Order: sequence, then structure tokens, then C-alpha cells
Amino acid sequence: MLEIDDIEVYYGDAQAIFGLSLEVGEGEVVTLVGSNGAGKTTTLRAVAGIRAPRSGDIRFEGESLLKIPPHERAERGIALVPEGRELWPQMSVRENLELGAFGKRARGRVEESLGQVMSLFPRLEERADQLAGSLSGGEQQMCAIGRALMSKPRLLMFDEPSLGLAPILVRQVFETVRHLHADEGLTILLVEQNLRKALESADRGYVIETGRIKTEGPSKELLQDETIRSAYLGI
Amino acid sequence: MEEVTRLTVSSLLLAGLYAVMAYGLGLIYGVLRVVNLAHAGMIMGGAYLTWVLHGRLGIDPYLSIPVVMGAFFVFGVVLYKGLVRFLPRGAAGGGQSLLLLFGVWLLMRNAAYLLFSGNDQAVRTGYSTQGLRLLGVSVSVNRVAVFVIALIALGALHFFLTRTYLGKAIRAVAQNPDSCLLVGIDVERVYALTFGIGSALGGLAGLLLSTIFAFNPSSGAVELLKSFVVVVLGGLGSVVGIALGALVLAFAESFSILVLPSFLTAAVGFVLLVIVLVLRPGGLFGQRVLG
Ligand SMILES: Nc1ncnc2c1ncn2[C@@H]1O[C@H](COP(=O)(O)OP(=O)(O)OP(=O)(O)O)[C@@H](O)[C@H]1O
Ligand SMILES: [Mg+2]
Repeated sequence: MLEIDDIEVYYGDAQAIFGLSLEVGEGEVVTLVGSNGAGKTTTLRAVAGIRAPRSGDIRFEGESLLKIPPHERAERGIALVPEGRELWPQMSVRENLELGAFGKRARGRVEESLGQVMSLFPRLEERADQLAGSLSGGEQQMCAIGRALMSKPRLLMFDEPSLGLAPILVRQVFETVRHLHADEGLTILLVEQNLRKALESADRGYVIETGRIKTEGPSKELLQDETIRSAYLGI
Repeated sequence: MEEVTRLTVSSLLLAGLYAVMAYGLGLIYGVLRVVNLAHAGMIMGGAYLTWVLHGRLGIDPYLSIPVVMGAFFVFGVVLYKGLVRFLPRGAAGGGQSLLLLFGVWLLMRNAAYLLFSGNDQAVRTGYSTQGLRLLGVSVSVNRVAVFVIALIALGALHFFLTRTYLGKAIRAVAQNPDSCLLVGIDVERVYALTFGIGSALGGLAGLLLSTIFAFNPSSGAVELLKSFVVVVLGGLGSVVGIALGALVLAFAESFSILVLPSFLTAAVGFVLLVIVLVLRPGGLFGQRVLG
């Protein structure tokens, strides 16, 4: 469904991604893991169109995304739950969700989607008229996931959804990812630093280090890999 | 006592005009982080366009509102696409955009000198001198009309920003543009639209102004500064904040004549501005961005 083919991404003169390739098949949960500054966010931003790669290609359902402006990528079925939530803090939870359905395809079904998101996260229904900026961290994460779902995506990308959450909420986030995949049939690209949890909920994984893919393979194998265990799991 | 009522009524009526001109400036700053100095030119240009439409074609100034707003909307969009789009924004590039938009204002002003000379002009209609009684005070019909139109314009804008998808998109872009791209909002289009709306409000302010005050090519400068004062007083938060800011300025100016010589009235706003900037750098009525 998604193919990232040998991309290089720069911030000004500083290169952040060095020839990275990655693939997500339809119906898969794929995780991209790595430590701080490895280039995970940059990779997702390239797919979302916020930061264009200088070379290489990104294809979605066989078609190159590079010529498609970022705001049209949601229309194609790509959504990102960004690192740090990135809500519109001075707008209500309801407005944040409604705007998630800004695209043509999604807007016609905004009421139906709102109902689905509210039943997935009943807490958001209670807080619907509250400003998004006044929500707790966990509620903001729900709102950010809800906003992404409102666009009716087929590929949903998460950027460290568990960051800064209490353990019980972390569990809930991973449970949501599992539910969206198993029950809603979404294809998922999950970026995490929580390597163990991410690999446990994914089919396959990629380990990124300083802008390059270091290792890749089925999650089970990666979890058994000695170098990964010592480098990332502290075993 | 009657003097106080008279001043109260006239401040209230004036506040409507202040709010319209300030909202144009505030909206553009809130969304694009650009101080649009050309706003002064929009106000001046709106007054001249109204004057031409009335003088040459005999169109009543209030009936030419759609034409004037439409013309300045288009002008704003073109100015955005042709110039503002390429300017650095925010704190880092503030100086450059300030200078360039100042240049646009100078061009507009000089064009007006060439076209219309530097003489004072006014739009005089059959009802210009008529008055009506409000709270026992006699006021001109034009001032009341200007106030009512200002209220309608601000109400419509408020409705647009809070109830429509496009209006909400404008507020969202002000708060976090990257997130807007993620949900499919064409941020560049929103910037152009916002610049157009802000310019249309400048044109409208000029139209309203032309029905009650004389103007010349240098008009707009004082109005720009007053708009700035209102935005600082009221914050970028909402129509309500801007309206409150406009009321404070209008009342302060009007009532100052009880204690100050009239040639100092124009300075009142700036004294107010300094006081507020020192005491409450975020503005009197909060600093929420288009909440
Ligand atoms: N806006 C930016 N300007 C300049 N350099 C940046 C910018 N954003 C990221 N970088 C650099 O690009 C590299 C990759 O950063 P990125 O944010 O993609 O890492 P990450 O894997 O998401 O890290 P984290 O786990 O901390 O979120 C880093 O070296 C970082 O310093
Ligand atoms: Mg990151």
C-alpha cells in the first residue's frame, strides 16, 4: 500500500534521512522504531507531505505521492496522528474533530464519523464543548486519534502515541491501535520508542538509526534479535 | 449630564467603525503573522472608490458596499499571491514584510495623489445633513448607518468564523497550520482568502469613513494606528475582544475632550497603547488566537 523508496530528507543543509526504504502492505501493522533523533518523525512527515524528500520516491497504492500536495493526501486516505498531538488548542474538541473531516470525501459523513469516534472514546463526548488545549494529555491523544479517524483514512500513521502517558493510558493506546486494525481494517504504520510494546502489536518492524534502516523483519524475530535486545530492551 | 449622554452615544457609534477597521488588521495578523501596513492604503482606497462610484456613477455609498468589498477582496488576494506569499513571516521576517507592505501603501498613496490630487474630498448624499434623535441626543443619520453596517459586518464575520467549515479552517490555520495540511486544508488558499477578507474589511472601513469624514490620499495613516491600538487592547481572540477594544478607544477619545484640549484627542489612543503594553503585554482582553 505504501512504499518508501530510497528517500533522502534534509532540514536546510542538514541531512536527516539517508536513503531510507520501507514498505507497508495492505492490512498490515508495521512499526518503525528507534531512539531520539533517529528520523522517525521526519519519515512520517515526508509521507504526509509536510517535508518533501530531496530524492527518492514515496508511492501510495502504486502512485507517486511527490507531486500530490500535502492537503490532498488526506483525500487519498492517508492520515497522521502527529507527535505531540498538535491539536488546535483554542478550538473545542468537537471543532477539532469536525475539521478532521474537512476533505470532500469525509465531509459528507461527518455526523456518522463523529458518532463512531465518540463511541470509541466516550471521554471525548463528555468533553465535546471544552477547548482542546484544556484536555489532559491522554484526552488530547484521544482527540488527535479521533481527528485522524474523521478523515476516513485507509493508512493511519501514529507518531509516538504513547509518549508522556501514564502506563494505563499507554495500554489503552496500544489497545486502540489493535482495535483499529483488527475491527476497522485499517493499515497502520506505528512509530514508537517503546520498542517492546510496538513490536508486540505489529506484524513487522523496522529499526532506524541516524536516518538509516538498521534492521528489519517480522516482529517476532526482532524481539529475539540479540543486538536489538541489548541495544533497545536492556536485556 | 446631557454632555455625557451625547459623548456616550457618539463613542458607541464611532466604536463600530473602529472595530471594522481593526478586525481587518487583526485577522491578517492572527492568521498570517504579518502586520499589514498596506491596510492604511485599503482604507484610503475604499474611501476613494466609494467617492468615485458616487460622484461618477451616482451610486449611493451604502449600495456600493458589495462592489467596494469585492474589489478590495480581489486586490487583497492578488497582493497575497503576488507578494505577501513570498515574504518571511513571524518574528524572524517581520522587518522585511513590514517594509514591503509599507512600500505598497506608499504606492497606493502616490497613485491616489496622481489620480485625485491632494485635495480633501467627502461623499455628500441627500441625507448627509439629516439627523435623528437617539437617547434624547441628536445624531447624524450617517453615523447611525455606519454603526449598523459595522455591526452587521462584524456579526456576519463572527458567524462565518465560528459556524462554517471555511471559517473554522481559518481559525485552525491561525493556531496550527501543519495540522491543517494533515486534515486536507489547503493552507495557502486559506492565507489568500484571509488576506482578501482583511483587505475587504479595510475597504469597507474606508467606505464607512468617507460618509462621515473628509479624506485625502494621506488618510488611513491615523486609522491604521488606531486599528493597531484596538488590536492590542482587544487581542486577536474574537470579534467580542475587538469590539471591546474599539469601545475602550472610542470612549477614551471622546471623553478626553472633557479634560484635554481637542488637538490632543488623537494622542489618547497612543497613550492608552503604551499603558496597556506596559501593564498587560497580552492585551486587555486576552491573547487567544481566534479562539
Ligand atoms: N525542524 C527541524 N530543523 C532542523 N533539524 C531537525 C528538525 N526536525 C528534526 N531535525 C533533525 O532531524 C533529525 C531527525 O529528527 P526526527 O524528529 O525525525 O527524529 P525522531 O526519530 O522523530 O526523534 P524523537 O524520538 O525524539 O521524536 C534529528 O537529527 C533532528 O535534530
Ligand atoms: Mg519524533
